[in-house]
Amino acid sequence: MTTISPARSSLPAPSRAGSPRLGLRERLAPYAYIAPFFLIFAVFGLVPLLFTFYVALFDWNPIGDHVFIGFDNFTRLFADGRFWNAVRNTISIWLLSTVPQLLVALVLAHLLNHARLRLAVFFRMSMLVPYITSVAATAIVFAQMFDRDYGLLNWLLGLVGIGPIDFIQSMWGSHALIAVMVVWRWFGYTTLLYLASLQAVPRAIYEAASVDGAGSWKQFLHISIPSLRPVIVFTIVTSTIGGLQIFTEPLLISRATPLTCGAVRQCQTLTLFLFEQGFGQFRFGYGAAIGVALFVLVVAVATLNYLLSTKIRAEKKP
Amino acid sequence: MTDAGPHTTTHPEQPVRRARTTRRSGERVRWWTYALLLLAVGACLFPLYWMFIVATTDTATATQLPPEILPGGNFFHLAGLVFSTVPFLRSILNSLIVAGAIGVGQAVLCSMAGFAFAKLTFRGRNVLFLVVVLTMTVPTQLSVIPQYMIVSSLGWVDTLQALIVPGLANAFGIFWMRQHLSSSLSDEIMQAARIDGATTWQIFWRIAFPLVRPGAFVLGLLGFVTAWNDFLWPFIVLKSPEMYTAQIAIKALQNSFSIDLGLAMSGSFLATLPLLALFVFVGRRMVAGIMDGAFKG
Amino acid sequence: MKFRNASVVALAAAAALTMTACSGTSDGTSAGGAESKSFEFWSFTGIDQKATVDDYKKKKPDVTVKLTEVGSSVETAQALTTALAGGKVPDLVLIQGDDMPKFVQQPQNFVDLRSLGADTMKGDYLDWVMSQSTAKDGSIIGIPTDVGGMAVAYRTDLFEAAGLPTDRDKVSELWPTWDAFIETGKKYTAKTGKAFTDNAATSVFFQAVNQVSEKYYDPSGNPVYATNPQVRTAFDYGIKAAQAGITAKQSSFTDGWSAAMKKGDFAVVAAPSWMLGSIRSNAPDTKGKWDLATIPGGSGNWGGSYLAIPKNAQNPKAAWDYISTMQSPAGQLEHFLDSGSLPTTPSVYKDQKLTSLKDPFFSDAPIGTIYTDSLLGLKPFLIGPDSSAIGQEFLNAITNVEQGKGDPAKAFDTAVTNIKTAIGG
Repeated sequence: MTTISPARSSLPAPSRAGSPRLGLRERLAPYAYIAPFFLIFAVFGLVPLLFTFYVALFDWNPIGDHVFIGFDNFTRLFADGRFWNAVRNTISIWLLSTVPQLLVALVLAHLLNHARLRLAVFFRMSMLVPYITSVAATAIVFAQMFDRDYGLLNWLLGLVGIGPIDFIQSMWGSHALIAVMVVWRWFGYTTLLYLASLQAVPRAIYEAASVDGAGSWKQFLHISIPSLRPVIVFTIVTSTIGGLQIFTEPLLISRATPLTCGAVRQCQTLTLFLFEQGFGQFRFGYGAAIGVALFVLVVAVATLNYLLSTKIRAEKKP
Repeated sequence: MTDAGPHTTTHPEQPVRRARTTRRSGERVRWWTYALLLLAVGACLFPLYWMFIVATTDTATATQLPPEILPGGNFFHLAGLVFSTVPFLRSILNSLIVAGAIGVGQAVLCSMAGFAFAKLTFRGRNVLFLVVVLTMTVPTQLSVIPQYMIVSSLGWVDTLQALIVPGLANAFGIFWMRQHLSSSLSDEIMQAARIDGATTWQIFWRIAFPLVRPGAFVLGLLGFVTAWNDFLWPFIVLKSPEMYTAQIAIKALQNSFSIDLGLAMSGSFLATLPLLALFVFVGRRMVAGIMDGAFKG
Repeated sequence: MKFRNASVVALAAAAALTMTACSGTSDGTSAGGAESKSFEFWSFTGIDQKATVDDYKKKKPDVTVKLTEVGSSVETAQALTTALAGGKVPDLVLIQGDDMPKFVQQPQNFVDLRSLGADTMKGDYLDWVMSQSTAKDGSIIGIPTDVGGMAVAYRTDLFEAAGLPTDRDKVSELWPTWDAFIETGKKYTAKTGKAFTDNAATSVFFQAVNQVSEKYYDPSGNPVYATNPQVRTAFDYGIKAAQAGITAKQSSFTDGWSAAMKKGDFAVVAAPSWMLGSIRSNAPDTKGKWDLATIPGGSGNWGGSYLAIPKNAQNPKAAWDYISTMQSPAGQLEHFLDSGSLPTTPSVYKDQKLTSLKDPFFSDAPIGTIYTDSLLGLKPFLIGPDSSAIGQEFLNAITNVEQGKGDPAKAFDTAVTNIKTAIGG
């Protein structure tokens, strides 16, 4: 790679950086630069995805037989209450974690976007600390803080005469707990993304609004939010793809029944259900069918997102 | 806008400095702005503080009510237990190897691909780039079952390369580095280098990569953090304790013979410590990098 | 069947070829060949195999044993399955009794221990325990390490404070039946305002359901969990305990359970022989405050495990040497004296070392006789391939009632429906 081809220097000056008259090797070079990604993605992304569709057609015991059963896994799946339960939990946890996260991030980004704010770097860095903390560590700490008998939060609630609430054993409690962990981990990151976009808004617009007597709240509503539309769409899409695949939090908060996240699967998400069937019960075929269903769900929600966001974008261009 | 000057318009990505130069712009910061921000900071930092508290006390103290809010003297005892219960040092080393390889690998590979997409012409470039962007929307966790089958037919079960190699592909990173490269490397420089007889590789390695090194550094950092904290995939692939990453070691501590909250918290704290230390040094650049890569209006 | 695997391998191999270039040096340990005297051993937590391994090392100082406590017994069985599917297996693995049938149904994954000499040993073990690890084709894939004779551990100090007797015989007389056990619990809770036992699902239902003559399967292997009146009775005891308000609602082996045990937030826990080690290590400060009484109903068996050698083990002979040395009647007796796990070899039940053993942690309770007595009247039942999943669904149903969420009247039917879904009807 380091040798310089003498032929090249005699070439007439190319009209563009990547001239089509380069040698064969140089013409193929661009593909070498992108090949690693496509190769790795093919082996560990695309092939597994396609293979999931294939395995889903089998009764596939990893240490026994593989029997072709057509669409039986899907027929069973759609009649399986546990599946619909996992769908409901996944959507509920996704909503509970995405909506507050984006709202909190919006408000904080607006607050941070103040020219004369002191300690700006400190605030920004602090908010990124949860992002570098692992989900495993987060789950252990939050499960303890939210514990029914020995948790900090229930003690505080007890002081004002509430509770104790058994977060993990109740459906809403466990969803809320998982959502709190997700929000905690990601709101700082999202805030920074929003802040970056806000800073691209010319300060003069805010100043003009200020001169016109618009308060902080009005500036937030009429300047900040509209200018953030693209990045809001982006964060909704990414948190959707992530949020629909939540796995580690529900696995780790319910110590007694980790694979089902509770005695009545009250916080079992689709990915956890997939894991339970695949690696707990070793029904690889059934697990793969859940994977296919999850894929359909993600694609459906992403499409919905896309349609909504293009509508939002088209609606009003400031 | 009166005296903001050209500085503001040419470097909008350096907001902190701008805040100091535009002294007169904006109204005064209200006290409740600080109050809300401090509340957010408290919410961010308290769980880590609490992790440390529990990691320094015994279970009886950690579960007493009202709770103890100051650290106890049990830290070194528990830390010792962490190291004797699981090969913890080894797991930290494994995490460093995996996360380090992924961080460096992503920085280089994504820069290369980003360079190709930004600056090289080749057949199918636009279509291939669209494919890269589309792969971002593929939910990866749904195919863990076939992924495991592939890794096991490669004989990679219980090895670190089973974590490293799949982690090297990062579509977002390619997207990000392409942005950096198209804005910082001009066609004129490319052309001049070509005339001087530089190969594509030389242009990339000697000119393009040094130009975007700050961006690649932050990308590598994000890749490092993500790999360090990854759970599901290592949980499936790794079997023996010498191969555990720090996250799997934490899970193993939770499962140890005697169930001790302090032990699990101590492990969590110790596994978070390296990243916190790293963050102290590079956190500022990470913040700047994340904001730099974000959408701008 | 081969073809399907081949397609994956071909794809993956193509990838591997291109990728080994960048992955650099991968260790080539699988070269194999010379079988060493060392071996890799997967166990689960709570059973203290480390003590046995240490004993073994004393006997065979030249052998290195790499012991891994993978996780709970269920997690260990799961890890074993992924390992069997993924090709990297330990040399020796401990499998809990309920998880055994799944592996016995696929004996091709394991070494037939008859080839290593299990034939000559099998007479040493309780027949009904041995039959659970013998496959249809007659191959033996596991050697039993222990059985879970039953007892109830209780806190003498807390009993005294509640005005209950503390002497183990008098305490045993308090609860000849599960009804009496629950009544005692009510008295305790009424007096102290604190929980009597940890939870209804494991300390009542899992005990009672292991005292039956027929459990989830009939002797010919048909599932009868929905219709077997013995299962229903045990389930109803669980529900009754759950509704009585005498439990701490702490599921076994969780952080809260461990903390509650340390703090004396419950006074009674069902203690199969292997539980003693767990109590000792979870609440070391409670030493001497515990004692052991007989289980309501007198006899029963919960748990018990097997050692197996996967087919692709690198060092099957070294693993077998461990089995034959440590799981001989003498070896099991020794392990019992160390950790309290009850031998599966009836020849040692009358051994004076066993009958005279007292445990200072449990107020010098004669643990040898308590546990062996609990096995005497035992009528063994068949464990089937889905016993583990069935038990889990029943347990979940009771836990749900205990949490105040499930309708006790519908709990059994709900559990049966869930089981049908879970095991594929």
